Formats: sequence, C-alpha cells, structure tokens
Amino acid sequence: MEQEGRYAVELIGINKTFPGGIQANKDITLRIREGEVHGLLGENGAGKSTIMNILYGFLSKDSGRIIIRGEEIEPKSPQDAIDRGVGMVHQHFKLIPPLTVTENVILGLEPASKKPDRDNSLAMISASLLVLFLMYFFLPPVEFLFSAAVLLVFLTVLIRPLQGIGNSATLARFGRLLGRLGSDVLPLGFDDAAKRIQRIADENGLLVDPYAIVQDLSVGLQQRVEVIKTLYREADILILDEPTSVLTPQEVDELFVTLETFKESGKTIILITHKLREPMALCDRISVLRDGALVGTVNKDETSAEELAQMMVGRPVVFTVEKPPATPGEIVLNVNDLKVEDHRGLPKVIGVSFQVRAGEILGIAGVEGNGQTELVEALVGLRKPSGGAIFVGDIHTTGKNPRFVREAGVSHIPEDRHRRGLILPFTVEENLILGQHYKPPFISMPGILALDTFGSISGELVEKYSIKTTGVDSFANTLSGGNQQKLIVARELESSPKLLIAAQPTRGLDVGATEFIHKTLISMRDQGVAILLVSAELDEIRSVTDRILVMFDGRIVGEKMSDETDAQELGLLMAGHLDGEEQTEAIN
Amino acid sequence: MSENRLQDTREPSNETQTSLLSRIQADVEQIRIKLVNIAEEAPRPIKPIIVAVAKLLTWTFWKPVIWAIFSVILAVITSAVIMELSGYNSSEAFIALITGALRQFDRVLFFSTPLIFTGLSVAFVFKSGLFNIGAEGQLYMGSMAAAILGYIIPLPYGVHPLVCLATGVLAGALWGFLPGLLKAYRGAHEVVTTMMLTYTAILFTQWLAAGPLKEPGEFQWNAQTARILETAELPTIWGNYLHAGFLVAIVCVIVVAFILNRTVMGYEMRAVGLNEAAAETAGINPKKNMALSLAIGGGLAGLAGASEVQGNLHRFYNLWSPGLGFDGITVAVLGSNNPFGCLLAAIFFGFLRAGGNAMHQQAHVPIEMVGVMQGLVVLFVAAPRLVQWMADQSLDYGKWFSVEKARPILFIFNMAIVLYGACFSFSLLGETQLGLAFIGISAAVSILSIAAFFLLFARNWRGIIVSLIVSMCWFALAVIGMGAGADTGFIFLVGLVQAVLSGLSLLLVKGVGQSKGGGA
Amino acid sequence: MEFSMKRFLRRDVIIPVVLLASITILLKLTYDTVDDTETFYALTGWLLEATLQSATPLILAALGGMFSEKSGVVNIGLEGMMLIGAFAAVAATYFFYDPWIGLIVAVLAGGALAVVHAIISVKMKGNHIVSGTGIILFAAGFTTLMLEVIWNRKGMSEQVAALPKVSMPFLRDIPIIGVAFDNLSPIVYFTFVLVIVSWYVMYRTPFGLRLRAAGEDPSTLDAAGVSVEKYRFVGVVISGLLAGLGGAYLSIGRELPAFGKQMTAGRGFIALAALIFGNWSPLGVLIAGLFFGFLDTLRFFVGFVPAWEWVQGYSQFLQMMPFVLVVLALAGIRKSVPPKAIAVPYEKEVKA
Repeated sequence: MEQEGRYAVELIGINKTFPGGIQANKDITLRIREGEVHGLLGENGAGKSTIMNILYGFLSKDSGRIIIRGEEIEPKSPQDAIDRGVGMVHQHFKLIPPLTVTENVILGLEPASKKPDRDNSLAMISASLLVLFLMYFFLPPVEFLFSAAVLLVFLTVLIRPLQGIGNSATLARFGRLLGRLGSDVLPLGFDDAAKRIQRIADENGLLVDPYAIVQDLSVGLQQRVEVIKTLYREADILILDEPTSVLTPQEVDELFVTLETFKESGKTIILITHKLREPMALCDRISVLRDGALVGTVNKDETSAEELAQMMVGRPVVFTVEKPPATPGEIVLNVNDLKVEDHRGLPKVIGVSFQVRAGEILGIAGVEGNGQTELVEALVGLRKPSGGAIFVGDIHTTGKNPRFVREAGVSHIPEDRHRRGLILPFTVEENLILGQHYKPPFISMPGILALDTFGSISGELVEKYSIKTTGVDSFANTLSGGNQQKLIVARELESSPKLLIAAQPTRGLDVGATEFIHKTLISMRDQGVAILLVSAELDEIRSVTDRILVMFDGRIVGEKMSDETDAQELGLLMAGHLDGEEQTEAIN
Repeated sequence: MSENRLQDTREPSNETQTSLLSRIQADVEQIRIKLVNIAEEAPRPIKPIIVAVAKLLTWTFWKPVIWAIFSVILAVITSAVIMELSGYNSSEAFIALITGALRQFDRVLFFSTPLIFTGLSVAFVFKSGLFNIGAEGQLYMGSMAAAILGYIIPLPYGVHPLVCLATGVLAGALWGFLPGLLKAYRGAHEVVTTMMLTYTAILFTQWLAAGPLKEPGEFQWNAQTARILETAELPTIWGNYLHAGFLVAIVCVIVVAFILNRTVMGYEMRAVGLNEAAAETAGINPKKNMALSLAIGGGLAGLAGASEVQGNLHRFYNLWSPGLGFDGITVAVLGSNNPFGCLLAAIFFGFLRAGGNAMHQQAHVPIEMVGVMQGLVVLFVAAPRLVQWMADQSLDYGKWFSVEKARPILFIFNMAIVLYGACFSFSLLGETQLGLAFIGISAAVSILSIAAFFLLFARNWRGIIVSLIVSMCWFALAVIGMGAGADTGFIFLVGLVQAVLSGLSLLLVKGVGQSKGGGA
Repeated sequence: MEFSMKRFLRRDVIIPVVLLASITILLKLTYDTVDDTETFYALTGWLLEATLQSATPLILAALGGMFSEKSGVVNIGLEGMMLIGAFAAVAATYFFYDPWIGLIVAVLAGGALAVVHAIISVKMKGNHIVSGTGIILFAAGFTTLMLEVIWNRKGMSEQVAALPKVSMPFLRDIPIIGVAFDNLSPIVYFTFVLVIVSWYVMYRTPFGLRLRAAGEDPSTLDAAGVSVEKYRFVGVVISGLLAGLGGAYLSIGRELPAFGKQMTAGRGFIALAALIFGNWSPLGVLIAGLFFGFLDTLRFFVGFVPAWEWVQGYSQFLQMMPFVLVVLALAGIRKSVPPKAIAVPYEKEVKA
C-alpha cells in the first residue's frame, strides 16, 4: 500500500489503436512519482501525446489500467481526470481565440463556486409541485400553463437559496438536473473569476490580463493562459505537451522558472518533449517512447543526452547499405539564404543556404520541428518563402506553384503520406499517375485519360516496385503503410526527376520496406539524380547519405561528411549542443 | 454503466455481427477476384463486360445502394403511418401510385428529366468537394436565357433548339461561376453564396418577365415572356409529355460520367474533392478546379431550365419551377453523387410525381404526400448512422433471442404495445372536445411512447420505466375522458396491458440484471 | 487617435451610418413630394409599423439561426421550421379557439422539427445541409397535406382568431410613433425582449459560453470536460423554438390570421442572410433584420407616394437587396466571421 501511495499516476499496460489501424500505444506501463518532474521523450508519432490524452480522459484506451493516487479510474471524459487534479496543457492550445482570457479559463467550470445544493433543490421541487397542484385546480388551463412556465423558470434560477427537506433519491436526481439547468442560465461571475485569475497569476508570476482577447496575445502568453487554466482547476498533476515547441528562447526560460516553482510547491509535472536538452535541464526521471512502446525509464543523474538520443532514434541496424562512393556532378539545387515562416508568421527557416549536386545524397538531420517541414514545403512550391532564392538547375523556382517546380524536374516524397502523398479513396492506379496525369502516356488525346495505358503502366510499376495489392483497381487505403509508401516512391521516381526531395521516407515502415527504399534511393543517385533526404533517424542519415547538414532551430548548425562522423557527434548537434565555433556563428 | 445496458448480451453479438458481415464481404470479394482472373484470359469482346460485373461486386458499390433502398423503405413506412393517421387508406394509395406511374411511364420520364439535370449538377459539384445548393437559381437563369433566345432570333429547325440549350448552359454556368470565384479567391462559403444567388436569380428573372420582357397583351396578369418560336421547341418523343430533353439528359449522364472518370479535368476535380492537400502537392490547382466545377454544375442546372422551357412550358413563367433545383440535392444525395445513381434516383422521384396524380385521383390522397415522402427519404438518407444503428440493433436482437427467450419476447411485446399506443394517442389528438388536459396528456403519451420504443429497441432498461409511466398516463386519460362523458374502456384496457407487460419486464430485467450484471 | 480608413470600415461603423443617412434622405424626399405634414406623419408612421411587422419574423428566425450556428450546426431548415410553426399556430387556434395555445403549440412544433435536425446532424453526424433540405421539403409537403386534411381546402386555411393587439392609447397623439405603435402584436415587443435576452444568454451565462465554444472549437470544450453533443443539440432545438415563434407571428400575429400554402415565401433564407449580415450576433441580427424588413416594406411604401410609383416596376431589386448584400459581404466588403467549426461534425476519436 505504501509503495502505491508514492505514485501520483500509474499507467499499466495501456494499449491504443486508432480507427484506421495505427497502433499508437503498445502495452505501455508508466509510474510517475508524487512531486517529481517526469520527462516523456520520443520522436513525433512515438505515442507520447496519445498516452497522456488517455490519462486525461480525452481519448479512450483499448486496454490497461489507470490509477491516480491509488484510485483506479475509468475516465470517460476529461471531467473525470480534472476532478482528480489532473491538468493538461495541449501542444495545440485548447483555447478559443475570439474569447477573453477569463472566458477561456472558466470554460467548463463556470459554476464552480456555486454548486447546486441537493437539499435546496428538493425543497424547491416539493414546494413547486404543491403550487402546481393548487394552480391546476384554481386556474383555467391557459393561465395554468403560463404560470407553470413562469414557475419553472423561477425554479431553475432561484433553486439555491432555500433550505431543504426530504430525502428521496429520485427527487434528488431530478433536483440535480434542474439545478444543473439553473446553473447554466445563471449569470457568469465574470468579475469574481477575473479576480481569482489575477490572484493565481500574481501568485505564480504569470502576468496576464484577464480581460484580454486570446487571439491578441502572443503564443507565450497563450501558453500562460493554458497553465492558469490548469491552476484554476486546482490541478496538482500537470501534463505539458511539447510546451517549448512554439516559444522563443526567452519564453522557454520563463516557463522553466515557472515549472521550478511548481515543483517546489509539490506539484507533479509530466513534460512531453522531443528535445533532449529540456528533460536534462528540468526532469528528475525520463521515460523514452519509440514507435508506441516504452524503451525505458532512466534517472536524469544516471544518463546523458547522447544516451537519450540513442534511445529515442536509435533503431537496431539490421543491414548495411552497400554503396559505391558518390561522384557528384554539377549543382542541381541551389538554395541561397532561404527564409520561411509558418502559418502563424513565426520564422521557421532562418537564412538557410546549401547546394545539392547531381549524383549525391544530401541528408538533412535534425529533431523534427526544427524547420525541416517548412524548408521542404518551400522547396517544392507549397509555401511561399519570405526571403532568399531557390534554383533548380538554371530555373528560378522561388515562390512558384508546385506544378512549375515539378516541371522543372523536382520530385517530392512528402512527409505525411496520408495528407499530402496519397488520395486514399483513389485506386492504386489513380494514385500512381497523380502529378503526371496530364501528360502522355497517361492521356490518349489532350484532356482525355488513357485508361488502358495507365492500367498497364501501373501494372508494370506494381510489379517493378513489388507493391503488394489485390489489383491496380483496389483502393489505396486498403494497402499497408509500407506499400503505400512504395506506391509514392514508384510514382515519384518514374517521372525521371533531376532532383528528388524525400522527407522522412521510411517513417513507420518495417525493415523490409525501409531497406527497399534505401536501395532505391542509392540506385537513383548512381543514375545521376540529386537527392535531398530529410530524416530524423540518425542511422538512416548516416548509412544512406553522402553529406549531412544538421538543422537546429531553423538554422544549419553543422555540415559533416557521413563517413567522417558518428552518432554521438550528430546527436549532440541535433540536441543543440554546438561546437564552440559554430555556436558563435549561429548566435550572430 | 453496466446497469443501464444489458451488457452481457451486447458484447458477443457485436462480434458475430461483424464477423457475419465480413464473411459475406470476404465471399463476395473471392468471387470478384475469380472474375478478374477469368477476365485476364477472356477474349477481348467479353473482357470489359466481365470487368464491369466484377466492379459491381465490390462493397463500395453496394453500400450506397443498400443504404438508399433502406432509406426509401423507411420513408415509405413513415409516410404510410402519416397517411393512416390522416385518415387515408395507405395501401390503396400506394397501389394507385405504383399502377398509375407504370401505366403512364412517359410521364415518369417527363417528370424525371429536369431532376436528372439538377441532380447531376449537384453531384458533379459535390465530387470536387463543394455543395451547390443554388441549382434552382442557375436553372432560372438558364431557362430565362433559353426563353429569350427562343423567341427573339428566328433560326432554322435543327439549329435553334441547340442554340437555345447552349445559351441556357452558358447563363447557368455564369451564375455558378460567380460563387466559384468567390469561393476560390475570397473564401466565401459556397453554400451561402449559391443560396443567396438563387433568390437573386429568381427575383431578377421575375423582374424581366414582369417588366421589360413581359408578353404584350391586355389580359396578361401573369408575368411571363412571349411564347418561343416553334423552331426552338424540343420535339415530343413519347406520349403527350416526354420531350427530347430526356435524351439530352441521358447524354448528359454519360458525358458527366465520362468527364468524371475519363478526363484529366474530372480526375483533378475528384482529387481536389477527396484530398485537397495531396492534390495541391501533386501540382493540381485547387482554386481553378473549384471555380470550374461550380461553373459546370451551373451549366447543367441551366440546361435543366432550358430543356423545360423548350420542351414543356414553351415560355418563361414567373416562378415556374416547383423547387426543381432543391430537388436536385435530394436526387444527388439518394444517387450518392454517382451520375448513373442520379439517373435512377431522378426516375424514382419522377415515378413518385407521376404516380402522385393517380394517387390523388384514385385514393384521394393530396398530391403533397409526394413532397412529404421526398422529404422523408432525404432525412433518412442524411443519417447513414441511423440505418447502421438499426441494422446493428436488429442483429443484436437476433443474437439475444438465440441466447434466451423470456426477456426478448417480453421486450418485443412491449415494443409492439408502445408502438400501438403511439399511433393510438396520435389519433386521440383529434378529440378536442375532451378538453386541453386530455389533449396535452395524449401528446405527452405519443412522445413518450416513441421515446420508449427507441429505448427498448436499444435494449436500454429505462425504456421499461418510460413504458410504465406511459401506462399510468393511459389510466389518467381514461379517467379524464370518463369525466368528460366519453366511453374510455378501450383506453383503460390499453393502459392495463401496457402496465402488466412493462411491470413484468421490469421485474425480470432487474432480477436478472442484479444477479448477472453488477460487476461487468 | 489617428484616423484610418481601414479601421473605420472594419469597425462596422460605416453600415449604420450609410443606413441612417439613406433613410434620412428618403424621409426628406418623401416630405418634399408629399408636401403635407399630416400625410407625411401618417406615411412615416405606416413605414415604421410595417418595417417592424415584416422584420419581426426575420429577427426571430435569425436569432434562432444564431443559436444553432453559434453552436456549430448549420440550420438551413429555418424555412421549414417557420412554416411548420405558422401551420401549427393556426391549427391549434382552430381547434382550441385560443391563439395563445396556438402560439405555444407553434413554438413546440418548430422545436420538434429542430429535434429531428439535431438527431440527424448532431447525434448521427449526418450532413447538416442535406438534413436541412430534408426538413424544408418535409415541412412544405406536410403543412400543405395537413391543410387539405384539416380544412379540406387548397391554398388557404379558414380564418382563426388572431392574437390580441397591444394598443397604446397614451401614445396616440404623438406624431409618427402614435401611428406606428398603435396596433402591434405583442410578439413584436417580445422580439425585442428576446434579442436582449439572447444577447444576455449568449455572452453572460455559462450556457452561452459553452455554446459558443462548441461552435468555435469543440475539442477545447471537450477537453474542458463538457459534452459537445449536448450543447449543439440544445442550440439546434432553441433555433427551432424561435423559428416556430417567427412562423406563428406570420400566421396568427398579423392582419389575416390564416395559414397559406408556402406562406413563409423564403423568409427563412432572408433570416439566414440577416444572420450572416448581422455577423452572428444578436444586435447585428436585430439591425440586419430591421434593415431587411425596411427594404421589404419600401416596395409597398413607394406605391403610396404618387411621384414614386414607377419604382414599383423595380421592386424585385429591392427584394433582392438582402441576398446581394450578403454575397457582397462574403466577398469581402465587410468582415464577417462565422463560427470556426461550423458544419463540421465533432468526432472524438480522431488522431489530431
């Protein structure tokens, strides 16, 4: 018993599979001690957010047990978790932009200080039933209905102030229902709530104006509002999902100071992150997740950033790619001082310059979220850069539309194959011609698709890339993840590109499919194609590429030849530990 | 939670149901694969036929069909209930409807002609991920354009109808292109803009027909344009009504199917409709395709107007369309946005229209019953999960029945009496001389009975409680009715039967539930 | 403060200013043509009264639409709910000889139809627009059918008792206002009360806060431990209740208390236009509703001034104004911000 009592949260054997078949959590067992700061580390898609959302009651689990302070619960709604003092700051803030800070904070907890009293309700109901009974006898029907309506309104609004009698469960339930209705239409105690928010803010050094509109606040302040939201609910188990991913360095420092004070006041904090530096700075213990499974839990004092990096991205190397030395030709892709902003207008790529030559594979390594996505989107024409220039061969492609970039000889294996890569309700053959569908041989005359040819060509491609499917006319969403990716690879390579941009091409794939894709990339290189491989997996980067750029926080923080570097060095660079020389460069 | 539902019987039944469905699906899939294999070796002329048959065996093809048929059946049942409660003979009405429509099949096709066009219009736009609820306005613009060209320019016989149709298409297309542009470049939601432009078009054509283009003559109270020239008319091809517009409609079905499945444009539109981000990544311009698809949809709706003017009305009347554009939505939804599905759905609604006249003459049911049925069909089609849920529940019941006998039988009896009570209390609503309290309680009984029915159907024990409350209401009704001097013996009887049944079920369910349920 | 044109436009100042200016010019022109104070007072009084009368159903239905759309459910079935309200009011009055019962039944009937819409679009996650279309079709067919079943007539029902009018004898001597407020239905006054109540409920109660949250970002509401479905359901039902009330005003609140086939004549859609033009807020809805009502009245008004009779030939353009204005508003003349999650069924178990 005593042993159990020391844990704030126990998650035992949690399994979760999303509709659509993605298994996000595989038998995860986590124990979080009372009063500790626990880091939950892993790549994107490792299942960190999923398991915390299950704890918070936001998602349902398939199996497993959740124990909060020794009490086993089956959360059906976040309310169950909130009632037990669990608060969560989501990565994508759960804030409603057009509302004020106060409105956002009190949402869902408005009548907190005015919970309807069961006895009061009972009294009101008994009294009103009596009145109704009398009215029925003494009033004509129409007036009776009207008075009944008026009474009902009074009942719902004024249900609290009276003192109670009686003790029937059914009546009490009815009373609770009416009371809940009443609390819905009672005026909001805006000023009280605002005062309380102000007090919480002052006590914790989280300065924010309770009457400000959320969409006018900076991201850092919005996050403060989220933290205040959990404090307002008197949470003492705090889950923070990637809290630093949207903050400036100064804001990160402020947040860490706040978290330190929380820790001192005895709160339990769970910090979800994919950045190595943060748990090392803040956490007592760190659990690492990979592909939905728990890799291990370590004490901060007994580990190092390098070990964590290996636990996080290290995948057992089961094959070695045999590749002849590269013979780089002329420059195919020339990127000069590229600047890109994300949809919020925050700079994500800050002055990146590099070249890719024909017949070489350039790798961009880095923990996800450091600007790679935006970089790739700018390169293929999906996002307009805010500065800089991109040349493919001699063609200036900066800010051009995707078809123009494709015509210039660029192929693109997108990072998110379900969202950007495939049209899942389309058939295999329809997906195989996507992007080339307007050109011969897929059209028989201008504007008319040549169904026969693309049937047979698709058949050949399915054979050539050994895509496992029941037929070219089966739907893409019936394929396994590996075969879906092969489909994209087949499509993108068959357009005989000059430059191939592959973003996370092997994410979530099994060993066989990964090996196939790696071999294909190398054979394309040997045919003289320039390849830009963006990946967060160290082994992939090291074994496939010829040259490696490491991206951190929107900048290129290092360039290494892949046969001259090792996992440790790359891991440090990815974690933002810079070499002295480069560090000053980046700061300037 | 385990208290509320009869959990113990739920879990396994769900399994059998899914396994049953998946087994059937797997069997059919086997046959399909065999057929495809045969097709590989078959000689050239037969090959496409076998491939087509194989395609018909896929679940994706059957799902919308089954769903549509189920919705129609539910709508027919509901409208039968409405007819019976209104005092009409529903079986007679349906027989009159069916025989009437079959006897005059030319009229069926005649009524379905504009619906095919407008249905195609909505379906085509839907394929690119947009909703064209403004087909009505595009139809008015098209019909006005065709009517104007029909009487202003004299042209030879063969050419004139085509020119008029083309103008109609153009006018409708322009009226559809406008919201398309607004959607693509200003982000204005097409549902709102097309709806607003519909009324703008109706009023604009009204002004034209009542003002500048009004047919001269003293006795023209109606706003209408001059009759179109004979050269512009579409010839009648079958019976007294069916005009060549139907042939145009069939051609359009084929053309739209061709565009969607065989052309680059259709391919791009479907890609944009299904996954805009992926289409954009592949170099397809979503904005251009959105605007274009709304323009084509508008053109189809304009064609509906033009063909009606040239084949049927022969002039533009103010407010001539009985909501053909809105019916296009129902056609597209029932036809699950497939061109051939739209053809069948339009013929179905044409069937209802044509049969509606016969139903009116023979069974004296007002022709508006057809509108009610149409609305009900749409409401049922709009809720795919309703059909799914009902199928699940029915399968669950089958499973439950195979496990035990007493409780399911009691539940079914209870459902029957509740359902009967609902209908009976509806009929009592007409007894206004018995006073407000009587009517009020009757109304409450109807609503509670329906609620109880669905709760019982979902095998929720609260249904029994509601049923018990309803039986008390019956007693109250009997007493009140007696006070007002009516013979309420039957009402009392209904209440008694219901009270006994629900009391018995409650005893059984709570008894078994406590011994079995509890922990689960 | 620095004057900026953009800010001026954005603050929604320009529309009321233009409205007031044009109405003033119109009144001045009327005065000049009529050239007789008594007639002018009578005419203006009539204009005001008729504007209030034709705006009332629009405002009621648009307020209803606001409750539904703020919670994230598109309700194009307002037209159908109004129609069934209008019918139920007449039918109940016919049977019970009491228009107040008719009023209650009308509100409930609108609500009942809204429950159908809520079940389909909220519980069953069906397409809101398809469901709304079904509601309109069903209501149109059902009311006409019942018209024939009950009165055995086509087109128009028998006349029933109307709601009593509220007369204000103490106002009678004041020019313009005396004419305008002499004989209005209580529903007109009630509408103004409802606008204020709606504003209060929407912006000053937990219910309103949750309703708005359900329409802006349902997953946030869910994360706060509140059921999204429940609030959306209630929002849709309220929209039906209000639309039913608007329908009741059309049939038993005005001069000719009877039900006519298709008597709403697109008012549900004008109400939607008012809702969008009023930027989904109660006060905006009030102003837009009054303005659209004014436009509707104007085409009759010009008939009373001999010099302006020619305008009647162009009355369709006056009627067109609400729709055109909304299209222009959406095209970017004016900022209009719909609830963000509108028309998106909320599914819990989807990986973010």
